[in-house]
Amino acid sequence: MVLHINNISKTYPNGVQALKNVSLNIPSGMYGLLGPNGAGKSTLMRILATLQEPDAGSVSFGNRDVLSEKDEVRKNLGYLPQEFGLYPKVSAEKLLTHFAVLKGFTNRKTRRDVVEALFRKTNLWDVRKQKLGGYSGGMKQRFGVAVALLGNPKLMIVDEPTAGLDPAERVRFLNLLSELGENSVVLLSTHIVEDVSELCTRMAIINNGEILLEDEPAHAIEKLNGRIWKKIIPRDELADMEEKHQVISTRLFAGQTVIHVFCNTHPGDGFEPVRPDLEDVYFSTMTRQAAEPETAL
Amino acid sequence: MKLLNVFSFELFYQARRFHTWLAFLFLVFFAFIQTMETYVSGAQGADHYLNAPFIISQGIASGLLVWLVTTAFITGNIATRDSETGMYPLAYTSGLRKPIYVGGRFLASYCLNAFILLALPFGVLLATQITNLPPEVMGPFLPSAYASAFFLTVLPTCFIVTSIQFSFAILTRQSISAFAGSLFVLAVTGAVWYFLDRDYAILLDPTGVIALTMDEITGFWSTGELNTRLPALENSLLINHLIWTGVGLIVLLLTISRFRFSHTDGKTFWNRFIRKNNSHKLTTRASDTGENTSISIPDVSQEFGFKTSLRQTQAIAFESFRKIAQSWSGLALFGLVGAFAFLTIPAEFMNVPLIPRTDLVLYSMTNPGVPPAYFIIPLLIIFWSGIIFWKEKDAGIDEITDTSPASDTVFFLGKFIGLGLLLVLCMAIRMAAGILAQLLAGYFSIDFSLYAVILFGLELSSYLLLGMLVFSIHILVNRKYTGLLTVFFTLLCIAILIGTGIGHELVVPGASPAWSYTEMSGFGGSLKPWMSFKVYWAAWVLLLTVAIRLVWPRSKDSSFRMRLRLARQRITGATLWLAIIALTVALVTGGFIFYNTTILNEHRTPSDQMEQRAEYEKQYNQYEDVPQPRQTGTSLHVEIYPKERKMEIFGTYHLVNDTSVPVDTIHLATEATPRRIAFDREFHAILQDQELGYHVFVLDETLKPNDSLRVNFEVLIEQKGFSANGMNVPIKKNGTFIWNYEWLPAIGYQTNRELRFTPDRENYGLAPRESLPSPFDVNADDGRKAPGMVFKAVIGTTRDQVAIAPGVLQQEWIDGGRRYFRYATATHIGNQYSIFSADYELHEEKWKNPSTESGQPLSIQIYRQPGSHSNPQQMVQSIRASLEHYSREFGAYPFSRTRVIEHPGFGRGMHAEANTIDHEEGFSLINPVKGPLWFDLPFFVLAHEVAHQWWGYQLTPARAEGSGLLVESLASYSAYQVLENTYGAEHLRRFLNQLRLSYNVPRSRAAKPLLKSNDAFHYYRKGPLSLYALSQYIGREPVNGALRSLLEKHHLPGSSLPTSLDLYRELQSVTPDSLQYLLYDLFETNTYWEFETQQASAKQTDNENWEVTINILAQKNVVSIDGSKTEKPIDDWVEIGVFGPAKKGYVPGKPIYRKMHHINARKQTITVIVPQEPVYAGIDPYKLLIDLEPSDNIKEVQR
Repeated sequence: MVLHINNISKTYPNGVQALKNVSLNIPSGMYGLLGPNGAGKSTLMRILATLQEPDAGSVSFGNRDVLSEKDEVRKNLGYLPQEFGLYPKVSAEKLLTHFAVLKGFTNRKTRRDVVEALFRKTNLWDVRKQKLGGYSGGMKQRFGVAVALLGNPKLMIVDEPTAGLDPAERVRFLNLLSELGENSVVLLSTHIVEDVSELCTRMAIINNGEILLEDEPAHAIEKLNGRIWKKIIPRDELADMEEKHQVISTRLFAGQTVIHVFCNTHPGDGFEPVRPDLEDVYFSTMTRQAAEPETAL
Repeated sequence: MKLLNVFSFELFYQARRFHTWLAFLFLVFFAFIQTMETYVSGAQGADHYLNAPFIISQGIASGLLVWLVTTAFITGNIATRDSETGMYPLAYTSGLRKPIYVGGRFLASYCLNAFILLALPFGVLLATQITNLPPEVMGPFLPSAYASAFFLTVLPTCFIVTSIQFSFAILTRQSISAFAGSLFVLAVTGAVWYFLDRDYAILLDPTGVIALTMDEITGFWSTGELNTRLPALENSLLINHLIWTGVGLIVLLLTISRFRFSHTDGKTFWNRFIRKNNSHKLTTRASDTGENTSISIPDVSQEFGFKTSLRQTQAIAFESFRKIAQSWSGLALFGLVGAFAFLTIPAEFMNVPLIPRTDLVLYSMTNPGVPPAYFIIPLLIIFWSGIIFWKEKDAGIDEITDTSPASDTVFFLGKFIGLGLLLVLCMAIRMAAGILAQLLAGYFSIDFSLYAVILFGLELSSYLLLGMLVFSIHILVNRKYTGLLTVFFTLLCIAILIGTGIGHELVVPGASPAWSYTEMSGFGGSLKPWMSFKVYWAAWVLLLTVAIRLVWPRSKDSSFRMRLRLARQRITGATLWLAIIALTVALVTGGFIFYNTTILNEHRTPSDQMEQRAEYEKQYNQYEDVPQPRQTGTSLHVEIYPKERKMEIFGTYHLVNDTSVPVDTIHLATEATPRRIAFDREFHAILQDQELGYHVFVLDETLKPNDSLRVNFEVLIEQKGFSANGMNVPIKKNGTFIWNYEWLPAIGYQTNRELRFTPDRENYGLAPRESLPSPFDVNADDGRKAPGMVFKAVIGTTRDQVAIAPGVLQQEWIDGGRRYFRYATATHIGNQYSIFSADYELHEEKWKNPSTESGQPLSIQIYRQPGSHSNPQQMVQSIRASLEHYSREFGAYPFSRTRVIEHPGFGRGMHAEANTIDHEEGFSLINPVKGPLWFDLPFFVLAHEVAHQWWGYQLTPARAEGSGLLVESLASYSAYQVLENTYGAEHLRRFLNQLRLSYNVPRSRAAKPLLKSNDAFHYYRKGPLSLYALSQYIGREPVNGALRSLLEKHHLPGSSLPTSLDLYRELQSVTPDSLQYLLYDLFETNTYWEFETQQASAKQTDNENWEVTINILAQKNVVSIDGSKTEKPIDDWVEIGVFGPAKKGYVPGKPIYRKMHHINARKQTITVIVPQEPVYAGIDPYKLLIDLEPSDNIKEVQR
C-alpha cells in the first residue's frame, strides 16, 4: 500500500504557514522525514494521523481517502505522538488492555495473548502491573510503542520517537520499528540524522513547510560525492570562511573548529575532500535552501 | 520584592483570562436577578425599604453561596497551574522561597476572588436602581450598607473559603480539589445549621451566611431597625468572622509548612500531608537492553462492527465511571448524597415521631425543604460531566485515544453512559438512605417497587436529560472553565424562566408539571403529563445529541470553523434518520402537549390567573352590595366517575328574599362554567361572562320580600387531558375531594375571589383592600348570624367507593353497577362543604350524648383509607372525650354524629366543617410513642377540631381584627382541657412547652395586642396560652363560664356577631379585681415579662423544715407595633415554686411549694419555708407569663 500525499497546505490561525503544497509518495518500508524543529513535521504527522485537517490537498492510503474516511484509516493506524501523557494511577496492563478493546480486540483470550506479546516485545512484561505514574521516560515511550503496535497497523506514524531515549533504548526501538517495515508504511519523523541513515529506505527533508529533498539516502549521499570539503580552522576565521565559501556545517573536534563546505569544485587550499554522509546531505540541503529559496531538488 | 512579583504576575495572568471576566459577569447577573425576584416584587407591601441594609446583606449572602460553588476553579487554577502544565520543575527551582511562592499565589487567589465578589454588591445595587418602583419604596442610598457588607462579611468569608480551596488544591496538585474544598465548606455550613442551636450556628458557620439568609439575626428587629441597622456589625457576626479568619490563617500556615517543592510523584494528598515516603521499587534489569526479536506478536485479526462498538462503549463507560467512583473525592461525594437524602427525611413533627411510609420518604427526598439538598445532584452532574469529558486531555493521552478506531459515537455515548452509571449509583444511595431511615424507625413495610419506579424511573430520567444537556454544553464550548461557567449560566437562565413562569412550558428546557404520589391516590394521573413533557424534551435532547456528536472534538483543530468542517464529514445516513425521528417525536409530542394544555384546557400562567381575578373585581365589584336573596337550601344530584375523572352535578338552590326590598336581578358568580342555568319562573339573561365567571339574570316578575325562588344548574367538572399545571382537577381514581366554592356557582358577588396580597393588587392597578376594622369599631348591628341552609344530595359513584357529602346518610343502594348515597342534613350548615369519594373503610362507634333526651347515641364515624396508619380507636377516644367535655362545659353538640374523613396528601393538619373533620394522609403518619416525655399530638389536634363545632360553627365571629381568637384560640384552649382531662396536668405542660418553642422562632416582638391581632402565631399560640395562663390564675371554671356565656349570647341565628372585645368583656366579668391587670396585660397590650432566678439557696431549719431563699429579677415590658419597648413597673402576682428531685426533662419535678407572690420590684428576695428538701426553685416555674427566655426561671437550690 502506498501513502499518497498530494499538495497538502496548512496555515494556522495565527498566520504561520506550516505546510506549503507538500506532496510525497510513501511506499511500504521505513520512510524518514528529516527536518529541524518548526519545519512542519509534526503538523504533517498529525494530518496523516487523522488528527488535523489541511487547508488544501488530499491524502490517500491504499484506496482510502485519509481525510474523509478517518474511521476506516484508524483501523489500520498506529500513531506514536511526539509528546503524550498517560493515566498515572492506572496500571500498564489495564491501560493496554483498554486500548486493545478500543482497537477492536473483543475476544478476551486473544486480547490477553496480544497484550502479553506486546509487553514482552517492549520488555515491559515484568513491570506490567505497576502504575504508569511510576514509569521512567523510556518505559513510557515503550508503552506508547506497544499501544501503537496494537493491531499490526499498516500505517505507522512515529513522531520524534528517539529523542530522550538512552543509546541502548534507542537501538532497541529502531529494531522494533524495522521489523514492522516489511509489510507496512512506517513514517518516521526525526531531527536525528542517524535514525534515518540507519533505518530508512527512503527519506525526505522538510523545512519551512516545504519538501527540500526526496530520495533514497544512499542515492542522495552519492549525489554529493566530490562536492563536500573539510578544513580545520581557528575559530576567529570562521566568519571569514562563511563569507567566502558555502559552509554547511561547523563542528568542534578536539578543541578546534572543523568546517564542511559545499562546492562543486575544489574550494582552495587547506580544504580536503571528504566522503559525504547523510548529515552532509542534510546540512547542505538546509544551507542551500537558505541561500536560494527558490530551488529545491 | 519577590512576593509582590509572584502576586502581581499571577493577578495579571488571570486578568487576561476570559473566564475570569465571565465569572464576574455571572455573579453580577445572579445578584441582579436574585434581588429582582426576591425583593423587588414584594417591595411595595413590605414594611421596610427595598434597599434596606439587611436586604443588601441577604442578597450578597446568597451570592456568596453561588460564588462558593461555581468559581472554585479560579483558586484551583492559581494553585495548581504549575504542576498541571508541567512547568513546576522550572518554578520550583527558581530560588523562590516556599512561603513567598505559596503566600504570593494565595494572595493572588484571595485578591482575585475578592475582586470577582465585587460583582455581588454591584449586582444588588444595579437591581435597586433599575426598577420603576415609586420612590417611597427606596430608602436613602447608604454606602455604609454595601461597604460594611463587603468588607465585614464578604472579605472574611472569601478568606476562609479561599484558604481551604487553595490548600486542598495545592496539596493534592489537582485543580478539581478546590471544588472539593468548596463542598467541604458547604457541608460544614449545612451540618452546623442542621445540628446546632441558633446561637452556636451563627457563630460556627464558616460562610457567615446562616445569620444573614435565614432571618436569624434580623428576625427580631422592628421596622425602624430593619431600615437602618447594619447586619455586618452585629456582635455575633463579627465574632464569627474573627473565628473563621483565624482558622483560615491556621490553614494557610499549615499549607505553607506542608507544601514541598518536589516532583509530582503520584503521592496522595494524605501521604503528602503527613510526608510519607514511598520509595518506588523500579527494577531495571540487564534484559532491558537485550534483543527481543524472537518474540512475535500473534497475528489476530481485530473485529469491527456493531458488537465491537458496543464493547468499546462499555469499556469507555466503565472507565469513566471508575475514575470518579474509585477516587476519594468520589466516595466523599457519594457520602454527601446519602447524607443529604437521609437528612431530608423527617423523623418527627413537633417532636412526635412520624411513620416513615415509603411514599412520605420519597416525597421528602424529592421535595427537600432545604435548598442545598435539591441542588446537590445537579451540581455533581455538572462537575462529573466536566471531569469525564476532560479526562484524556488532562492526562495528555488524548492524541493516542483520538487515533484509535473507536468511533465518535462510542466515545460520546460511552462517556455519557459512564455519567449515567454514576447517577444510578446516586439513586441507589438515596434508596439506601431512605430504607435506612425506615428501618431505624422500626418501619418494615418497605415498598421497594415504589423506590424503583420513582428513583430509578422518574428521578433518574430527569437527571439523565439534565446530564445530556450539561454534557452537550461542555462539548460545544470545549474550553474547560468557560464551559463550566456556560453551563451555570444556562441552568440559571432556565431556572429563572421556570421560576417566574415566563414563557410557555414548551420552550423552557426541562420544564414539566410535577408528578406526585401518595399511597391513597397513587400517581393520581400525574404521570401522564409528566411523561408527555419528558418524552418531548427527550426528543429534543436526542436531536441535540445527534448534532453535538457531529462536533465532537477529536482533532487538534479547535477553531469552530474546523469543527463544522469535520462535522460535515461525519454526517451519515443514520445521523439524518435519527434527527428526523427525533424531530418527528418532538413535534408530535409537542403537538399533543399543546393540544392538551392550550386547546383542551385554557392555558393560564399564574400571572394570567391573577389578572383574571383583578378583572373580575374591576368589572363586578360594583355589585357587591346589591341586595340578593339568601340561599336557604341546596339540593344536589351528583354523579362521580372517578376513572374518567368526571363529576356531573345537577343542583338546585332554594333562595328566599329576606331583604326588605323587592329583588329582580339575580347575580351568579360561577367557577366551572355551568352547562345550564334556569329559574323556576320566567327570566332572561342580561350578562353572561363565561370567562370571568359572572352572570346576571333578570326575573320577569320581581321577587317580593319573603318570597322564594329556585335556581337550577348543571355543572360538569372534568379533567380533560392535562393542563400546564398538571392534573388540576381533584377528581381521582381514588381520593376525590372537591370544595363547593371552588366549582359550584354562588349567589352574588364573591369577595373571596379578589386578589388579597397588596403588591399583587398594585401590579394590576387595584387599591389595597380595606383593612379589617378594629374590634373597637364594630357595632352590634354590623352583622347578624346567618341562619344557614339545609342540604340534601344524592351522590352516585363507582361500586367500590364510598361517597360522602354533608348530612346524615339516609339511604344507600346499587343501581346500574353504581353505588348511590342519599344524604340530608337535620340542622342548618354554612355554605362551605366538600364532597368526597374514595375506597373508604369505615370505623364506627357510638357515643351516648347526655344532652339528648331521647338518649339516641351519637355516631362517630372514621372514614379511612384501608391500611392507613391512623389509629381509629385513639381518634374515637379523643372525640368522645372532647364531646363529653365540651357539651358539659359549653353547650349541647348540635349534630347527631361526627365524622373524620381522610383524603390524599401529605399535610399534617386537620380541618373542620359542620360535623365533618377532614385530614390528609400526612396526619395519619403522626405516631406518638408513649415514653417519658411524650405527648399525644393527634389526640390534641382532633380535640381542637371537634371544638370548632362550638367555636366557629356555633359561634361565628364578626369580620374584624382579632376574630381568630374566637375561633382558633378558643378551640385550642378547649382542646388543652381535654388533653389534661385524659392525660393529666403534667402531660399537658409538656405539650405546652413544645408549643412555646415557637416563641423562639425569630420574630419581631413588635405586634398588635392579642385583641387586635391577625396572624397565626397569635391565634394558635399566644391566644390559647394566654387563656391557659388566665385559667391557672382564676381557675378553669370561671374561664369556661365566660366562654359559655359568650356562646349563649351569640349562637342563635339572628344574634349579633361577636368580636374579640365581647370575649374580653366576658373574661373581665369573671376575673377578680386584683387580677384585672393581668387580663389587660395579656390581651389589651403586647406585654413581655422577663424573669430570672439569679440564685436559690436553702438551709435546714431546726425541725424538718427548710428555709429557701430565692433571688429573682423581674421586669415587664410593653412592645408597641413599631418596636419600641417601654418598661412598665412590675406589680404582678407571679407564682413562686419549690420542687423536689426530678429526672432530666421532668424539671421542675414534683412541687413542694406553689404560691402566688406579689412581685413589685426589679430585684427581689423571696423566702419560703418548705417541709421537704428542696432541689429546684424559681419564679413562674410553669412559664405561664410570656417570657422569651423561660429557661432561667428555675435554678437548682444550693444547700
